[in-house]
Amino acid sequence: MNATVEIRALTKRFGRNTVLDRADLSIGPGVTGLLGPNGAGKTTLLRCLATTLAPDGGRITALGLDPARREQRTALRRRLGYLPQDPGFYPRFTVFELLDYVAILKELTDRARRHREVRRVLEETDLAGRAHAKVRTLSGGMRQRLALAQALLADPELLVLDEPTVGLDPEQRMRFRALVSRLGEDRTVLLSTHQTEDVAALCDHVVVMSGGGVVFDGTPRGLAGVAAGKVWICDEPPTGAVLRWRTAEGRHRVVGERPAGAAPAEPAIEDGYLLLLGARAEAVA
Amino acid sequence: MSAVWHPPADLVRRYTAGRLDPVQVMSVEAHVARCARCRAAVPYEEEWLAAAWERIEDVVDRPRPGPGTRLLVRAGVPEHTARLLTATPSLTRAWLVAVTAVLAFAVVAARATSGDPDVLLAFLVTAPVLPVAGIALAYGRSVDPAYELHAATPMAGARLFLLRAVSVLSVALGMTGAATLLLPGPLGLSAAWLLPALTLGLALLALSGRLPPLLAGALLTTGWFAAVLLCDGALHDRFLPFHPASQPLYGGAVLALLVLVRLRHRRLTLGERR
Repeated sequence: MNATVEIRALTKRFGRNTVLDRADLSIGPGVTGLLGPNGAGKTTLLRCLATTLAPDGGRITALGLDPARREQRTALRRRLGYLPQDPGFYPRFTVFELLDYVAILKELTDRARRHREVRRVLEETDLAGRAHAKVRTLSGGMRQRLALAQALLADPELLVLDEPTVGLDPEQRMRFRALVSRLGEDRTVLLSTHQTEDVAALCDHVVVMSGGGVVFDGTPRGLAGVAAGKVWICDEPPTGAVLRWRTAEGRHRVVGERPAGAAPAEPAIEDGYLLLLGARAEAVA
Repeated sequence: MSAVWHPPADLVRRYTAGRLDPVQVMSVEAHVARCARCRAAVPYEEEWLAAAWERIEDVVDRPRPGPGTRLLVRAGVPEHTARLLTATPSLTRAWLVAVTAVLAFAVVAARATSGDPDVLLAFLVTAPVLPVAGIALAYGRSVDPAYELHAATPMAGARLFLLRAVSVLSVALGMTGAATLLLPGPLGLSAAWLLPALTLGLALLALSGRLPPLLAGALLTTGWFAAVLLCDGALHDRFLPFHPASQPLYGGAVLALLVLVRLRHRRLTLGERR
């Protein structure tokens, strides 16, 4: 893989809490999905990569640049688009004004070019009709699209998206997938999500984090393969199963050891993910 | 059935060459607007038309700049810099109202008491803190709701902080200066807050390379009040910080801090450690 982002032994502590513990990761062009439970270190890793947080140890190289060096950090920011997990806005601004403001911060100083760019991202995120609405009047889904729109300004080569599909309705999520899929054709996109279906639909590379480290790094098919031979369907709820749930058909899907009378089922990404984290949880216990 | 009129080729040619009188132009344009066949016959430059539409769209679509931005642009500040300056988070209506209220109270109280020294002292002690508070609230994760959004942009850090500091400092000094002119008593004494204000503002900028601006602002404000109390309690001279003899000290401090900020301004990596 021709890596555009290299992360080596990345460490970050908040007080006594080690949030990133010598995490290693290589990411190439295309869409990479970052999965993991709450507190796994996903957001901290993305913030370090987006240069909004300095790590305590380790090294990041993104687009050939080292963000620990001031000049290279600024150079990286010129080629970066970042959607934070909890983007705040100035509520008195309109949608257009906010994007115009971020475009200036991205050094688009020529007004005509800047406004052209603002209109482009408004169209991309289906917000053109709300360009003159105050930010405070937007719904949660619209705010999330606004956050995505600002990340797309100046056509960045590296897109870092922290839970971008939160708050989007199913139609918006489909549109988002189409947009990110297109963006991933000629740049590097790293997105964190809790939605395994987003990973299945979008990503050619998936990374699972837990406890501040990387516990899986491979393809979505490979993640599903973790659960190969360990996914079962049965009619009666098995006793003692670690992971099981009732399906829409009223049967029981079990991940782990085969219950009596159960039939094998095709593993999905979600099964591999759950098994991976379940196994680690057991190992820790 | 009525015969359909189409402008003859010669008329279209003269129209595109701009050689028709206004009445003929209106006639041709009224027809071309309704007739796709004739419209197709009128040559045009696609790039020019797209650019023209974009210019029109921009005029219709772009946000109307606020009074602050318009004022700065008229004063010669580039439009994009003016937008950044007026969008400074601490330049909110609440901060402006608070500063106006403090200054108005000081002026009214000073006039009502015919220049009571205690009221004047309260004004002199408070005035340098106003810009410090504004600068401290201008940049940082805890005071800026959109901090995380813009922290990953190339303007983030020292460049944006210094721009915002200039913005807040200018507004605060301007407002306090206007209030000074309204105070009774000698102007020299009433304006004795100016150099302490500049000293504290620059000290905050210098400290911001090492401390979050909010913490640096709190420390400087506490230190300033402590120094004033010390002059009153230990040296028995409440006005010592504002004596003419003290002003050269502030002047020297301002110059030294200006040099320090100039030398260190690229090292203000604000907030990124937290």
